[in-house]
Amino acid sequence: MSLSTAEDLPTPAPIVVREPSLWFKLGLVALLALLCLVPFLFVLTISFGHKIEGAGWAFGFEFSHYKRFFLGATWPETFQSLYIQRLGYSLFFAAIGAVIAVALAFPFTYFLTRMSRRAQTVWLVVLLSSLSLSEVFIVMGWDILLSARSGLPALLDGIGFTDLMKDLGWFQWFRDVGLASPRAFKFKTSGFATVLCMAYLVWPYAVILLYPALSRLDPALVEAARTMGARPGQVVRTVVLPSVRLPLFGSTLLLFVFLLGTYVTISVFADPSQHTLAVSIYDSVRGSTLNAPFGAAQSVILLITAGLFLIAGQKLSKAGGTA
Amino acid sequence: MTIKTNLTRRSFLQTSAAAAAASGLAAPLIAQDRVLKIGSYGGYFEDSFKQYVYPGFTEATGITVESVTQPNSADWLITMQQAAMAGTVPADLSLYARDTLIKASREEGLLAPLDMSKVPAASQLDPYFVFEDSPGVLGVGAMSWFSSMVINPDEIDAPASWADFWNTEIFEASLGIARRYNAGFMDVIAATFFDGEETFATNEGIIAITEKAAELKPNVALWWSAESQMEQAMKNLDVVAGTYYHDVAGIMAADGFPILSMFPKEGCVQDYGSWCLSGLSEKGAEAAEFVNYSSTPEVQAIMSRMIGTAPLLPQEATDLTDEEFAAVSGSPSIRPAYGAYLDNETFIQETWDAMLAEG
Repeated sequence: MSLSTAEDLPTPAPIVVREPSLWFKLGLVALLALLCLVPFLFVLTISFGHKIEGAGWAFGFEFSHYKRFFLGATWPETFQSLYIQRLGYSLFFAAIGAVIAVALAFPFTYFLTRMSRRAQTVWLVVLLSSLSLSEVFIVMGWDILLSARSGLPALLDGIGFTDLMKDLGWFQWFRDVGLASPRAFKFKTSGFATVLCMAYLVWPYAVILLYPALSRLDPALVEAARTMGARPGQVVRTVVLPSVRLPLFGSTLLLFVFLLGTYVTISVFADPSQHTLAVSIYDSVRGSTLNAPFGAAQSVILLITAGLFLIAGQKLSKAGGTA
Repeated sequence: MTIKTNLTRRSFLQTSAAAAAASGLAAPLIAQDRVLKIGSYGGYFEDSFKQYVYPGFTEATGITVESVTQPNSADWLITMQQAAMAGTVPADLSLYARDTLIKASREEGLLAPLDMSKVPAASQLDPYFVFEDSPGVLGVGAMSWFSSMVINPDEIDAPASWADFWNTEIFEASLGIARRYNAGFMDVIAATFFDGEETFATNEGIIAITEKAAELKPNVALWWSAESQMEQAMKNLDVVAGTYYHDVAGIMAADGFPILSMFPKEGCVQDYGSWCLSGLSEKGAEAAEFVNYSSTPEVQAIMSRMIGTAPLLPQEATDLTDEEFAAVSGSPSIRPAYGAYLDNETFIQETWDAMLAEG
């Protein structure tokens, strides 16, 4: 009976929808190609261009900029690992920033989803609106918060912490790790300030990315675990974390890729010995050397690196999903 | 992407400026025929030009000036290159620092020679400031500025020499130094410890300069690239000495901040901006008149007083008082090794950046 009813039912609706969806898809592909592929191909073309020493550059086809990236401009006389080092710092800062942001966002979001509907809305609106702040604003804010006269060093000085450290003889340690001048604490420039600012930058994204997964988490699971005698820490470790491990991993990966291109934070808070590829790209293209081809070659390499990480992430999460 | 955005913003600025000119200035027909678009670095700088220089020029010649905002010279050159490809002229006269000017001169058709018969006042300038290449004079100095030694007088005593910066007992983690290889600090090192500009002639000389700079690293708390970074760092006590712009430091000191700009015995780095005529401009005659006007001792003095730039003439040629002159200029002057910066730029940049990148 039910079978025949199903056969009797006319099913033209999906077909009608499918017809324009093909054009729609083609349109989407064309738009995507226009917005993503064309600029990328343009950058790729420029990366093979020819740099004219002391002037601009011209279109061409040479691999000298890729060679310079991996071996240095003066290779084979000398070898230069400068740009590989910068790529390394790009990955290093982005990874740490993303992990810290997600690690801090996770408990916050977990408790957020346990709040009343109204409180959740308020928090989410506040978080979403904080996304409208540009990186420049955020960096300016932290710049002031970490300054010697107006920020954290002044606070540490004011509450007597600086003198305490000096009396205890521990101040030298802070000087050795680059977090103090002979006079006071200093956080600019330091890896600490860089990572702090980068994590802050993407923290709202981390909350928003984790929110759907955590709010879908069935409270009954947690209650069941608690009823069976698990301590809160145990519940988080054995019930909550495993059930959201894919969103956790996915958000970390997304924020990592997002942070690879950070420029303002690095140029303000990081020491030149820890500058990333983004700074180097800007210096090549917009700086005084007008070396767009070298900037483009570095961008292509950064893009490929980001792509590799995304593919690897996809593979890992697929493997994790089936396991 | 950035280039695109800048272009759009610039063309927007242009159209709005043109609209403002068309609606606001219902000037006589003759004056409308003679309009000159002049580029200058935006903000306070451009405002000062609009307030103190352009009106006098319009009064003297009847030529109306349309002010165009340039972000700086290097980025503006990219904009002008793209505009030239598209056949447009965002500005008839642009303001280029000397290295950018030389770069522009090496690209065919980007700059047009100035008719020097209409610029008699330029003969009074130091010949160094008049840049001549095969097609003729491509740039005439507009104004100059110094990158000087700045100190916080409340915290430290004035050093006699740049070499004092290397003394870690006084300056450990206390200096703010310009980060870019061509910002002038290499020239300071060459003048202080080596043979000045000659040192840049060989790669060994360049390596020697960078090695000397590497010795300074424990004393540098901030390698700054944007002017505002150093300004904040001086105001907030993050650094107590370093390199900065002589005129801006003077303005900060006048505002009550503890900063003193000074000339140690080796001197400070002098750079200058030139007026350059766009290759596609049809306003060659008007441009020459403006360049002549800007080269006169009177206008050089106005710029020194009102904009804080150093005059391109000796103090005696102007009516600047000793105090006014000292606020914008000084001696000796260290002139950047522009030739080497251009002809050997990849090597110098990479050697310098690699030195900074070592942990």
